[in-house]
Amino acid sequence: MTISKIGAWSRRNALPLGMIVGLGVAFVQSADAHEPIFTPGAHVHSKDGHEISIHYNRDKKSGAGENETEQELALEYEYGVTASWTVKAEIPLVNKSLNANETTGIGDVVLATKYRFIRVDLPGEQYSTTALFQIKLPTGDDDKNPLLGSGSTDFLGGLLHGLESRRWYYNTAARYRLNTEGGGGLEKGDKVLLDIVGGVRPALTGYKEPDTVLFLELNFENSERDTLRGSAVADTGGWELFLSPGIFWTYRTYAVTAGVQIPIADNLNGNQATSDYRFQLSIKYEF
Amino acid sequence: MIKILQRSGLALALMLFAATAAYADSNVYKLYVDGLACPFCAYGVEKLVGRLDNVKTVEILIDEGLVAVTMVSGKILDEAAAKQAISDSGFTLRKFERGTD
Repeated sequence: MTISKIGAWSRRNALPLGMIVGLGVAFVQSADAHEPIFTPGAHVHSKDGHEISIHYNRDKKSGAGENETEQELALEYEYGVTASWTVKAEIPLVNKSLNANETTGIGDVVLATKYRFIRVDLPGEQYSTTALFQIKLPTGDDDKNPLLGSGSTDFLGGLLHGLESRRWYYNTAARYRLNTEGGGGLEKGDKVLLDIVGGVRPALTGYKEPDTVLFLELNFENSERDTLRGSAVADTGGWELFLSPGIFWTYRTYAVTAGVQIPIADNLNGNQATSDYRFQLSIKYEF
Repeated sequence: MIKILQRSGLALALMLFAATAAYADSNVYKLYVDGLACPFCAYGVEKLVGRLDNVKTVEILIDEGLVAVTMVSGKILDEAAAKQAISDSGFTLRKFERGTD
């Protein structure tokens, strides 16, 4: 039902979406490294490198009398300005259902940039340390129920570090999300996100051969309480911890990645719906 | 028997000719690159090195960290340009070597 609605919306808006993809393809040129599924990686694109991705996300929450499902189909474009600096833009198409209510439409557009300020190259391995900055714009409709966007301009900054080698990978990320006041005087609580990731390439394949890397992530998220016109909202905020297996498969300049976030612990304030799972599937093309 | 010898001789001559022609045309450089770990990320090297003037082919051996660049006959690969292309693709050129094959 919800997927069919996304399909109907996509058909109605096929021309503008096609133009966006077409513009991205028209610029064309490079390649990025392996990035975990739910954790931003420390790697950046090569100079003049382009990447177009399509992401499908499905998040499900339940409890406290709520049954909430959010699906997102996002078009993402990344560009390597230099060998250290990458910029990114993402436009999501969102479908949300909360109990009996359902809405579909454009969500909040995200603009992001990564700058790698430390790179250590050794034979067969590369260490990277990178700063991340992101801004989420209030482009999603915040009048619908459920909301398609927060109605606020939110900022995220973080520090990323990782190793990519022939056999082993690790990534760490520490991020802080600063939320501002949205529609109706509601301000979502700021968020701290901490991630640690291990990865392995089971078979060492050659250039121009299909390649697979398996990841296991531990994702921690802590939210402060939301505020409504300056007053804290009781049943909001708290932390969740996810264990997230994922796979990153590539062939030449094409990649398919998939992963699922499984909640393994939480401590949420008051009476709230908790995460059941989060799933992501992405298709990427580098040029 | 004479026919077999004639055919073998002809085949041998053709092989020698082909090998000599290939050697004369050979203009291969070996770039030893640090940081190369995966096929997906090596594409940037292929693209940026491949854009350099008079580059004919770019072959990558990831396990060896080796980028083999074949130039158009009679043309040379400038070391500074190769180093810049490797750097722009996000890696480090450790050693630059001119080979014959």
